[in-house]
Amino acid sequence: MNENVTNIISEIKDIASGILEKDISAVRGFSERQVEAIAKQTVLIQNGVKNGDIDEDLREFFLDGLEAMALNFVNTLKGILMVTLEKLWNALVNFLYKAVGVVI
Amino acid sequence: MYLEILQRKFLPLQILLFFLVVSGCEATLAPAYDQAIVESVTENSELAMRFFAEVDGGTESDSFFTRQSTYNKLIGAFLSLKLQAKARPVPKNVAVDKINELLQAKGSNVITGDYPSAFAFEQIAKTFIKMKEVDRDRGLKPLALEAFKGQIEIFLDQAITYESFLKR
Repeated sequence: MNENVTNIISEIKDIASGILEKDISAVRGFSERQVEAIAKQTVLIQNGVKNGDIDEDLREFFLDGLEAMALNFVNTLKGILMVTLEKLWNALVNFLYKAVGVVI
Repeated sequence: MYLEILQRKFLPLQILLFFLVVSGCEATLAPAYDQAIVESVTENSELAMRFFAEVDGGTESDSFFTRQSTYNKLIGAFLSLKLQAKARPVPKNVAVDKINELLQAKGSNVITGDYPSAFAFEQIAKTFIKMKEVDRDRGLKPLALEAFKGQIEIFLDQAITYESFLKR
């Protein structure tokens, strides 16, 4: 393969790895925290219903809350993904434009 | 023959370059980072946690009036944060449209203008509104109070993580 093409491929891989490694590690931490917290919240609600601290009205409220937090957990991950894609896209555009000698 | 092989070999790179050129330089796929929102969340989450520490163990409806102003302050603060978060313009461009097409094809929800942080702030306000209502009517029992706190902490984590991530 042409040496220039090999260099470009290597640069693109380095740029992508640098951004992805950092962001994926942050996303992993967030996901683990959320999954654990949602699981604990579910058990807490179960215990509250059992001992009577959480009545029927509150049970419905907290069930709706669990649904909303699960939905927004996924949407937060999607939102974070958009930021990562943006960083990746812009870093690649900058590199490729420089490679072909375009000033942006 | 040789030319055909070369063209095929560099086709992906050509497509990528073509797409980058026609899509127009740098892309903005997410809203701008707002330091004021982050500072306000930090301040109000501290206020919320201090409040939970004060009412730790549960409350009686008789003493509700001593807590009413804190509830009002927290509800107002998080509703205001929801408005601030939503007030930022939603980037709309070819890249977002393409990503939404892919998400739809996979049967997933598309990315809309509803920022996850704005949704979380609204849920936090709703949680304090419900907590205030229960506190006023019948007082808060220990596990109910823990569940309110847990719900608020989870939404706070979502909002803070997203808002912090916007700082590129």
